[in-house]
Amino acid sequence: MSKPLPPTTQSQIPLSDIDDLANPKLSVSCLDFLLIELVPLAQRITDQLHAREQALIDEFKKSKIFHKDNTPSTSTSNEDGGKKQGQRDSGAPTVTVTDGTGSSSRGEGGGGDGATSTGVGTATVMDDETREAVFWRLDGLGYRVGQGLVERFSVGKPRPQTPLDAIKFICKDLWTLLFRKQIDNLKTNHRGVFVLTDSRFQPLSRMSVDRRAGPRAVDDALRRAQTYLYFPCGVIRGALAGLGMEVSITAETTEIPSATFQIKTKGAKA
Amino acid sequence: MVDRSPSIAAIGVIGRHNNPLHIALFPATYQDKQENRDKLEYSMLLNSSLDIFEARMPSKTVGHDFGLLHALDERIALYGWLLNTGVKLVIVVDMEGRMAPNAEAAKTSILGLRGTDLTPAFKSLQTAYIRLLRNPFYVPDEHNPKTAKSRSNLQIDSPKFINEVDRIGRNWYPGALNL
Repeated sequence: MSKPLPPTTQSQIPLSDIDDLANPKLSVSCLDFLLIELVPLAQRITDQLHAREQALIDEFKKSKIFHKDNTPSTSTSNEDGGKKQGQRDSGAPTVTVTDGTGSSSRGEGGGGDGATSTGVGTATVMDDETREAVFWRLDGLGYRVGQGLVERFSVGKPRPQTPLDAIKFICKDLWTLLFRKQIDNLKTNHRGVFVLTDSRFQPLSRMSVDRRAGPRAVDDALRRAQTYLYFPCGVIRGALAGLGMEVSITAETTEIPSATFQIKTKGAKA
Repeated sequence: MVDRSPSIAAIGVIGRHNNPLHIALFPATYQDKQENRDKLEYSMLLNSSLDIFEARMPSKTVGHDFGLLHALDERIALYGWLLNTGVKLVIVVDMEGRMAPNAEAAKTSILGLRGTDLTPAFKSLQTAYIRLLRNPFYVPDEHNPKTAKSRSNLQIDSPKFINEVDRIGRNWYPGALNL
């Protein structure tokens, strides 16, 4: 942009600088990096929590073997304690690594279990259980982000009167903010179902398929790419919740840089 | 009779489901004493303004400013803003709430407020609310009667937000540009 700016834009620059003081901005790449990192992070958290739970279950099982000849009353109390601990640990959003005793017992007892895949990065495709847990985690994170974003960036915009207005806000304003472009296509049946198609979805735009590995690689890549749609799903859900719409969202990708989000409002029939 | 000038009597932040999120009261100050506001009276006042929001909502589609909601008597008047997320900001102005610092300020209690006099206060309130939502430890769903798990206290308890609202309420005067 070496062209001299027209006078009108020049006079607007100081204004935007004043604006900057109240609204600090940061590089768009930060969001891209964050989006990339979020998925492995969520997977690690899920795996760690799962490993801890598994370790507790193993410990409890072992304790039952040792105390087999005990009276039934003590063994039931043990059971209760173990269950409570397990539940608490699985629900808590802590990122703490398993402590010494937990990890040691996992090493002894977790050998037979294939579900724990700690230490493996995004390179592996997740199993369904992990995928579900990762989905809830990312969706929850996105939901909170969406609620914050809609409050901040709906300032000065006309108030959405209909669900379609709210969806248009997502397609035009929110998408431009997050992914630097608008949604390419919006379809609706006018009864509460909206389908948003982005033909070059930013988080997927840098992904590629290993063509040498044949058709299986395509499926593999698509399944991996799928996890990167969970967080944006949550953002949409949070933003619409902020605007007073309760929705459920499913996202999928059929060919890599494109993504489709299906938004169903509560009570709508497809 | 000493000259009086307008001040803010109360600020109410009301959620989407008409649940009170935060109510701040500001006493009327006199030369040697201050008169505290009755909490119940003001929450009733704020409650009564909700119907006006409701009634004006269909005709008012652009902008947050709902202007003067209603004037209770010659002293107390309510002004409101509606944010796009359904959060309502209400400011109750007491036309004789404080001592007039000078003769010029004393005139406003007779002439009345201009429409734009409260805009900076509302803008600062909105900024404070946006800042609150940027705080990751504030979970909006816990302050929403439809989604909150416990029924105990749905009000905002962030000290930063409460202090900011207090600051806006105490520092506003007619014609203030920055708050």
